[in-house]
Amino acid sequence: MPAPVEASKKRKSSKNAGAPSKRRAVAEDDFTETLSTIEKLENEIAESRKHYNNISTLISMLDVEKSAKKPELAVAVSLCRVFSRLMAAGNFAESSRAAENEKIITAWLKERCLEYQRALLAIMREADTTSQVCEPRLYRGVKVKLTRNPQITALTLSMRIIKERITHIPGAENAVWSTNFKHIVEAVIEAQDGQDLQTEFIEKFVKEFEDVRYHTFGEIAEYASIRRSSDVFDSLVAILSACDDVPGDDHEFENFFATPGGKNKRLTSVNSHKKRAQEAWLAILRNNISQAQRKSLLRIMVHHIEPWFSRPELLMDFLTDSYNFGGATSLLALSGLFYLIQEKNLDYPQFYAKLYSLLDADLLHSKHRSRFFRLLNTFLASTHLPAALIASFLKRLARLALNAPPSAIVVIVPFMYNIFKNHPTCTFMMHREIRDKDLAADIEAAGMDDPFDPTEKDPTRTGAIESSLWEIETLQSHYHPNVAAIARIISEQFTKQQYNLEDFLDHTYQGMVEAELGTGEKPLRKVPVVEYQIPKRIFTDRLLAEDGGVDSGPAAFMRGLWDFS
Amino acid sequence: MPPSQLKQLKASLRDSGVVGPQQSKKQKRQNAKSGATTQNRNQRNAALQAIRDRFNPFEIKVPSNRSKFDATTRDGPSTSAGHSRPGVTKSLGEERRRATLLQEMNTRNKVGGLVDRRFGENDPTMTPEERAAERFARESQKKMRKESMFNLEEEEDEFQLTHLGQGLSFDEKDRDDFEMGGSDNGESDDETSRKRKRFVEAEEEEEDFIDNPEGDDLHERKKSKAEVMKEVIAKSKFYKHERQQAKEDDDDLRDELDKELPDLFEALRGMKAPAKPEPPKQDLDTMNPERAAMLQGPEKTDAEKEYDQRLKQLTFDKRSQPTDRTKTEEEKIEEEAERLKKLEEDRMKRMRGEQVSDEEGEEEDDDKDSFFNDEEEESDIDDATAFGLPSASYEPRPNLAVEDEDDFLIDDDLVETRSNVSLSVDEDDMEESDLSDEDESEQSEQEDELINGMSLPAASAASTAVAASKSADGKLAFTYPCPDSHDEFTALIKGVPNEDVPTIVQRIRALHHPRLHPDNKAKLGRFSEILVEHVSYMANQPEPSFVLAESILRHVHSLAKTHPINVAMAFRARLREISKDRPLNLLPGDLAILTGISTVFPTSDHFHAVSTPAHLCLARFLGQCSANTLSDFATGAFATSLCLQYQAVAKRYMPELINYALNALCNLAPTEPTKGLGSFPYRKSEESVRLAPSKKVTPRKLQFRDLATSPSEDQAKEELKISLVTTFISLLDTSSDLWAEKSAFTEIFTPVREMLNHLQQSFKSKVYTSVRDLVQSTLDKINAHLDQSRLTRRPLLLHNHRPLAIKAGIPKFEENFNPDKHYDPDRERAESNRLKAELKRERKGAMRELRKDASFVAREKLREKKERDSEYEKKYKRLVAEIQNEEGRAANDYEKERRGRQGKR
Repeated sequence: MPAPVEASKKRKSSKNAGAPSKRRAVAEDDFTETLSTIEKLENEIAESRKHYNNISTLISMLDVEKSAKKPELAVAVSLCRVFSRLMAAGNFAESSRAAENEKIITAWLKERCLEYQRALLAIMREADTTSQVCEPRLYRGVKVKLTRNPQITALTLSMRIIKERITHIPGAENAVWSTNFKHIVEAVIEAQDGQDLQTEFIEKFVKEFEDVRYHTFGEIAEYASIRRSSDVFDSLVAILSACDDVPGDDHEFENFFATPGGKNKRLTSVNSHKKRAQEAWLAILRNNISQAQRKSLLRIMVHHIEPWFSRPELLMDFLTDSYNFGGATSLLALSGLFYLIQEKNLDYPQFYAKLYSLLDADLLHSKHRSRFFRLLNTFLASTHLPAALIASFLKRLARLALNAPPSAIVVIVPFMYNIFKNHPTCTFMMHREIRDKDLAADIEAAGMDDPFDPTEKDPTRTGAIESSLWEIETLQSHYHPNVAAIARIISEQFTKQQYNLEDFLDHTYQGMVEAELGTGEKPLRKVPVVEYQIPKRIFTDRLLAEDGGVDSGPAAFMRGLWDFS
Repeated sequence: MPPSQLKQLKASLRDSGVVGPQQSKKQKRQNAKSGATTQNRNQRNAALQAIRDRFNPFEIKVPSNRSKFDATTRDGPSTSAGHSRPGVTKSLGEERRRATLLQEMNTRNKVGGLVDRRFGENDPTMTPEERAAERFARESQKKMRKESMFNLEEEEDEFQLTHLGQGLSFDEKDRDDFEMGGSDNGESDDETSRKRKRFVEAEEEEEDFIDNPEGDDLHERKKSKAEVMKEVIAKSKFYKHERQQAKEDDDDLRDELDKELPDLFEALRGMKAPAKPEPPKQDLDTMNPERAAMLQGPEKTDAEKEYDQRLKQLTFDKRSQPTDRTKTEEEKIEEEAERLKKLEEDRMKRMRGEQVSDEEGEEEDDDKDSFFNDEEEESDIDDATAFGLPSASYEPRPNLAVEDEDDFLIDDDLVETRSNVSLSVDEDDMEESDLSDEDESEQSEQEDELINGMSLPAASAASTAVAASKSADGKLAFTYPCPDSHDEFTALIKGVPNEDVPTIVQRIRALHHPRLHPDNKAKLGRFSEILVEHVSYMANQPEPSFVLAESILRHVHSLAKTHPINVAMAFRARLREISKDRPLNLLPGDLAILTGISTVFPTSDHFHAVSTPAHLCLARFLGQCSANTLSDFATGAFATSLCLQYQAVAKRYMPELINYALNALCNLAPTEPTKGLGSFPYRKSEESVRLAPSKKVTPRKLQFRDLATSPSEDQAKEELKISLVTTFISLLDTSSDLWAEKSAFTEIFTPVREMLNHLQQSFKSKVYTSVRDLVQSTLDKINAHLDQSRLTRRPLLLHNHRPLAIKAGIPKFEENFNPDKHYDPDRERAESNRLKAELKRERKGAMRELRKDASFVAREKLREKKERDSEYEKKYKRLVAEIQNEEGRAANDYEKERRGRQGKR
């Protein structure tokens, strides 16, 4: 390479080496000067081969080791342009007939390109996302494209390079996807403060282009096959669950990021896409995931995960494990499991026993309550279930209703009503006349215990069918008039065919209070009744002596317990 | 083989008696005399018509489809149905049209003409004889009514236009039409359309027409004997009447003359008689004007009538009733007790959700509306009580011995005036002023009424003056403006010591008494809202004064009796604020408001605009609040005790209460329970609040200020903890009493027993001796209740309803079913179908008629045209013939002449 160029490069590089450190202090004049230098170098490269050394100058200007946190984005962009041009010009193409020195140049260029890509990956991993704040000010009026997060810029640039390589270098496709793209995906997943980067990756590339998605699935499957730390999984799950539009059977794949001459057969078949996705999900599910992640996975199971699976039975292990977990996790696993039982003939022994054990103290207070009741409604819908089992569920629910918030009670009672309609043998729980004279006399004399055994695990052996729903009868005197009215339906004639359970599922305290109070001032339709007696005392012992020191009257109870002073 | 047509005709003529043996002349004469001929003629005509019909087979149309066998239809063999006579109907229609439509056509675009308005002329129901008789009778009546045309005494209404001596009255014609409308009974059942009506008229006219030939004969014939006799009788009656009339006239004339006689005498004597005294006139001035008017009234009869009227009115007047006797003390007390009992009963009714007997009827509707919008809300409360719900068993609270103080607060009239006074804080000071104030206010009230509320400031000033002078603090101002907002009120009472605030409130209420100014009611309403706000404001202060809060709450209560809407809205606004801003961390002010609700409003009501949301607020807090610090638990304890107080009467079950109490005990207990104690959700507090005393601690009574501040040093903390534990235990104790009757008592309180057992276990240490007894006694009580509950437990019998009738699937069997009839059980639909069918039928009929009319009109026009044409042709031919004739003659003449000339030649 000619010496003058060398000299000039040295001069410039020395000048530029000092620039970044000074940059904060020096005003924009200095910065525009840098820009013009970059532009000049770039133009020289375009002019002739002689100036190829400028590439290494530019790469050293990028200087990843020192400034990965605050990269010189203008340099990166200009390098990207340089490489794109070179690739388009065919300088990267290897031909066996080419001269030896040509080959050397090509190899050298490739090396530089790799170096550049590594630099970009380093930027993606480590760049300080906060630097974007100052970027707009610095670059205003010069390049709008750069007013962004350096991570995102780096991502865009490296994807650009990938695209150029695939389009212009024949036969490079597989190598590019399996190496370069893999590094990009890893960088995206492991990036520091990578939220924006990941969303950008998902929105601009994965969702947009089907081949990118295809390869992403592959990379994630490979990545997750090794045990990883659990916080990495959040981003993995985020990426995977973002791809929720599962292609239909006759889907035509059209959106490709980089289209090489001959279309790849694997890329155009739905099955291979699904297979890749399935592998990716399975790799994640097999890895060690935290409790919270398991729950969130279960939550998206039906809508985001299962559609990707051409063989959903592969989910069986995960779901049964989750179902056996107990608590809210079991509740969430229920719907996925039900899907498998219904569609894939999964045999789950002791399903109802397990379901019965889910009815615990926390169920009616949990936020998955309505979800559970929807499923329970499905599970108990069959009229072929044994009455003893149904009765156990009813009795258990009634027990729980005694400690339940009103919003749960209003679900339970219509639910019971529907079940009574389907299983008339259970109606003995509401109405039982004792025909046996001896037994009747016995009960008359000594009362009775509840025949229901709450500790029995097997729902067919609890003896609930011999019991009565005293709990619901007690709830007929619930403090809230509407709840009491609903509880009363089981003691009235069963004239209605079914209650629509959906109408009762989503009541809350807030909704109930609002129903009573309204949201704004509205005149009352009825004059409220006022207590006719004005109490003598509310908080204090006023005039207690007059009553002979005996505190009676409305608020006496409060005064007995509390000291207002 | 049947005989020939001619023979058949002859035979049938003979049979029907049309052709018979010749009658003798004598017989003929006899028949003519007795009128048998007319009868015979009628018969003969009918018989001839029948024969004609029978012998013309083309007249009868037989339906093309054969009639069904009898067995297949219930209608039976309908003989007459199928046999119509199209020719007859056609010719009939033709004739009718000729009579009506043709007339119309001819008279179209023409003016004038003759209308026959003779009586009965258009009435087809009358025979010509009747018509004549009626006409004659009317004529004679008319003559009888007025003696002479020129008699001016008579009303001139009788004067009529005549034509040729006959009266022209137009109303007769109208009447005839009307009668005719009513008399066409044949088809009047159906709604006759315009056309049909026309045809009806025509039909009747036609009948007349048919009759007419005979009628014409009758006019000429002599009158029958009966008719003659009738006429004679009518005439003699008429004459008799005339004679009587003349006699009466004479009498009248004579009376008149008699009246004038005194004047005549006077004139004869030539001097005037002394003027008559007029005593009644003088009387009139002094006596009651009404009576005078009555006496003066135009006629005596009127006066009598009025007297009767008055008398009747008096009988309907309410009799004066004896006024209520002044009651003795005992009676008053008894009455009071009675009234309180009634109020208590009303409360019980409201608690069960029934309608209060004498109160608003729309209560139930309101209840219904306030439910969810699901359709199942049929709360049959009566059923519920029939099932022996605990709410049914109640004993009226023994609160009947009420003080005077509260006593007169209830009397609506007196509430406002006296409660001001009664509500002052320093009752002792006010004792004397009480009486005087009362008297004064009563007096002023009376004055009010007398002077129509003019001089009120003075009266109010007096009352406040008394209050002020006796309240022994001169520095308070006497008058205060009624504040419009809470800020104004706080500004007003700024710097005033707490003890004096109630006096200020009282003065504001006195000054703005609703009687004093119409606006005051609204002002006081606003003021009551401010007071409610102030209660919550006060309780939120670092050092709340509960003496003041209590007195203000009592003021609010007494204001609530007059302004229930305002107070309720104010409370609801506070509740709304709570549920919006801080549903899960209640401030002390919110708790004070909730306490206030428990005293001001009946919390036992099934549904109440204020207490129901208050319940929900409390329950929501208990169900969802986070219990982490000691002050959280203290707040929870307060809310729990409030809940119990709310349910003191109604004894409704609150799941949240039990949950919270058990949860709190779990958290406060010295050791954590190893196993789940029941089906309540256990939520651990973030920081440990477990009891861990180093030395002996004694529980104390909880204080309201514990809600806001938690103690810093350990000893005080432990003390608070142990008092919380005791409070919760006693709360559970009370709740077990409250809900002992519930059918699921065992299920509710078994966890409580477990909890207490656990506590008993963990309180073995010596430091807890003070609590151990309490736990033990509560445990004993709950055990006793549990045993009792086990004894009373019976299997549920909720469905002792009358069994529902099974839906019958048997079709309704119709006796005498007619396939043509529609048996629609839906009356409205059947009716509308019937109307539709009728409309269709009518439309078809009308169209058919119109079509026929049109063709008739066309035919007539054609006929007319042909007539005209033929006339023209005839004329033309005649003219041509004439001319030819003339021409021929002229030719003849010419020929003759020519021949003559030739001959000459």
